[in-house]
Amino acid sequence: MKSKLKRILKKVPKAARRGFRINSIQSIITLSFSAVTMLAMTMVGIGLYSSFSDNAEVNAASSAQQIMEQATINLENYLEDMMEISDIIRKNMREVTPNSIQNLDNLLSLTLEMRKDIVTVAIYTGNGNVILTNPVYDTDYNYQIHEQEWFKQTISNPDMYLIQPPYVQRLFEGRRPWVVSMSSGLSVEYLGRTETWAAMVDLNFSLIEQLCNRVSLGKRGYIYIVDEYGNIIYHPQQQLLYSGLKQESISEVLEQEQGSFIEDFQGESRISTVKNIQFSNWKMVGISYVDELAENQWDLNNYIMYILIFGIVFVILASIFLSSKISKPIKRLEHQMNRVEQGDFDIENLEVKGEDEVKRLTKAFNLMISRIKQLMEQIVNEQEEKRKSEFKALQAQINPHFLYNTLDSIIWMNENQNHQGVSEMTAALAKFFRISISKGNEIIDVADEIEHVGNYLLIQKIRYKNKFDYSIDVQEQAYGYRTLKLILQPIVENAIYHGINKIQEKGEINIRAVVENDHLLFSVTDNGYGIKPERLKEIFKREPTNKRTSGVGLKNVHERIQLSYGSGFGVDIESIIEVGTTVNIRIPLIKLQKGENNE
Amino acid sequence: MSRIYRIALLVLTIIIVLSLFGCAKNDLSNSEEKYSIKVIVKNRSHAFWSVVQMGAETAAREFNIDLVFDGPENEEDIDGQIQLVEDAIAIDSDAIVLAASDYVRLVPVAEKAIASGIPVIVIDSTIESDKMDSFVGTDNMDAGKKVGESLIDKVGTECTIAVISFVKGAASATQRETGFAETVSDYPGVEVIETVYCNSDELLAQQLTKDIVQDNPQIDAIVCLNAYSTAGAARGIDELGLAGEIIIIGFDSTPLEITFLEKGVIQSLIVQNPFNMGYLGVKYALDSINNKKIPKNVNTGSEVIDIDNMYLPENQKLLFPFTE
Repeated sequence: MKSKLKRILKKVPKAARRGFRINSIQSIITLSFSAVTMLAMTMVGIGLYSSFSDNAEVNAASSAQQIMEQATINLENYLEDMMEISDIIRKNMREVTPNSIQNLDNLLSLTLEMRKDIVTVAIYTGNGNVILTNPVYDTDYNYQIHEQEWFKQTISNPDMYLIQPPYVQRLFEGRRPWVVSMSSGLSVEYLGRTETWAAMVDLNFSLIEQLCNRVSLGKRGYIYIVDEYGNIIYHPQQQLLYSGLKQESISEVLEQEQGSFIEDFQGESRISTVKNIQFSNWKMVGISYVDELAENQWDLNNYIMYILIFGIVFVILASIFLSSKISKPIKRLEHQMNRVEQGDFDIENLEVKGEDEVKRLTKAFNLMISRIKQLMEQIVNEQEEKRKSEFKALQAQINPHFLYNTLDSIIWMNENQNHQGVSEMTAALAKFFRISISKGNEIIDVADEIEHVGNYLLIQKIRYKNKFDYSIDVQEQAYGYRTLKLILQPIVENAIYHGINKIQEKGEINIRAVVENDHLLFSVTDNGYGIKPERLKEIFKREPTNKRTSGVGLKNVHERIQLSYGSGFGVDIESIIEVGTTVNIRIPLIKLQKGENNE
Repeated sequence: MSRIYRIALLVLTIIIVLSLFGCAKNDLSNSEEKYSIKVIVKNRSHAFWSVVQMGAETAAREFNIDLVFDGPENEEDIDGQIQLVEDAIAIDSDAIVLAASDYVRLVPVAEKAIASGIPVIVIDSTIESDKMDSFVGTDNMDAGKKVGESLIDKVGTECTIAVISFVKGAASATQRETGFAETVSDYPGVEVIETVYCNSDELLAQQLTKDIVQDNPQIDAIVCLNAYSTAGAARGIDELGLAGEIIIIGFDSTPLEITFLEKGVIQSLIVQNPFNMGYLGVKYALDSINNKKIPKNVNTGSEVIDIDNMYLPENQKLLFPFTE
């Protein structure tokens, strides 16, 4: 497991190096494509986000205003209803008789039966005497109506509808409900006089509460009502405000005309929306919390984020796919070209597929490779041909000259009655040619090559009237191999013509054949004149000429060996002037095949 | 080449999965546990404790709490209250709000609750322990002093008075007595002839009042240190037809006391803020559950109310809790 991991880890940077080479077409396409798209998407995302978020607060404020619009209308309708009750009282009390009071009382009983939000309706004379209360309880005589501020105001301003902030009603003994009170003056005919009386409608908070609670301003948002003096009319947590456990930013609201404002309230950012209520000095205040908006905002952020992430992921995948599709055939081409670069022309034609450009490129590449192959084959063939014709020319060069000399010697021996010599020489000549031809084979047994050079030496020794001696030492093991034919004869010929021939004393030619490690070594040693070092250097470079000069045979042998077996083999020469020359020929070990042994 | 795809895919998958996790985590955080808080008061039925209950319920509504409001039938039933606390420990309430009937005897059970990891907020009347999380209530020494000041204001510096306290040994009683005694000690003309205990029994207070007045016809005023003694004294004086002649300085603002105040039987009331005790008791209990820092001692305050100032807007709000 660990080693597997290690292997993968090792591969990663390699793969990364291969995969994310900045200069590769694939990575250029992937990176640029991804970068451009990401940039575009990010900009779109930012644009969307900012346009949404710019709108969010404005939207929230305006939606709060719309929501509250309805609540405002409902509350105004409610107040209108209450004023209507006052109007009914006014209408019915224009002329006060016991009958009219009774009628009104009945009417009010009916109304109060239906409306649970009305706590008490009461009518007072200008002196504060009770004319009527509905419902009726034990009057609390400690409560002096005519001393109350609202009563004085109502009597002095009878056309007004006076709405009082919440207070504890004290009309009846033992009953202390919290009420909102609306009072209005009435002009009555009573006992022949016109008087100003006061009507009072006390409301509990049930309907106002309902109106305000029906409105939804988010999970925590709420509505409260405050009058122009900052008295709380209604608040969902009224007692907490009364107890001082909660505060509201009433002074800010009072400064505000209609509309919304954002405030930092007790460490929280919230939107207050203020609406004025007709028929009263009330203001309805809607509170909504910005962090609830922010929650929505956060949802929106996430949404945009996910779209962006998915978009970017998609784009990256798509661009990786696309770029690989584009670059794959190019890479394949590159791979093939690398092989060609390393000299491997034996590759199949590439499949022609992909985009037009790549197709054309592939076709051109295929065409080029096949053309190169063709040309190379042609060159190889030509070279082969050339070599063969050269070889033949060389062979053709040697033979007539040698034949002429040999035949000359035979004639000469015949004239001297040397019949023994004639027959020896003729036999040797015959053998010599037999091996030279050897059915046209290029490769012959080592024994044949040795016999061939032995015949040649025999002929030459007779011709040169024993001017030299020769010896042939062949390691037994060497007979087990084969060799390129006619490689020793040109060397020996060279040794005789250019070595032995140039000295006065008797020459010595020694031929050896041994197996050395991985190759067969022939060496031809003579004690002739030797080759001058400057000539030695030039032997293998010289262009063959028609003129027979020393070294032509050497070069020929060397080239043939190298052509056949490669540059690891061939001829080398050690020569010391007036001491002699040793020519070493190295060829690979070619095992003798059975059946060919004794041909 | 395909390896690179795999690596790229892996990286992208990780990014997506991580971002989804981030989203999911955000969604989960909204759900909240509903805590259960038990409020144990001195007795269930009295008007004073009803207002405490209103406050507690207001807080429970606001903070989404499972509220259990309980108390013994009468304030002397200290064993009953101890049992209620034991019950709360047994059902593993998340917090206990306790108005202790006895300064000493509630200590072991309250400390047991605290030891078992249940926060205890004491309201109104404290216990002899500094282990509880918070005390929310009237500064009773201060309230006692206000009683004394009001007495001097209504009766003068030369007078003969009696004190009707409630339960001997209850912390609030002792502290109010001490506060009152401290103020009165500045006025040598004030003679306290007797301090009696009504054991938070209105009838007993009524009887005690009659006895005191009969034994001490020269008496100028009766000082009452809680709602029971005040109401009993007021009934007694009213029955004797001595309203206005024998001054009553009382405590708290039950409807009955307010009626007697309006009728002139009671001249002055020291009004506490039971709504705030209930509300803040529960609120701090919740804060304590949530390991928020809460004040060790919260004074909910007291006001001196008489016939002249009782209907001032700010005092209306104190005397008549706004029922929703």
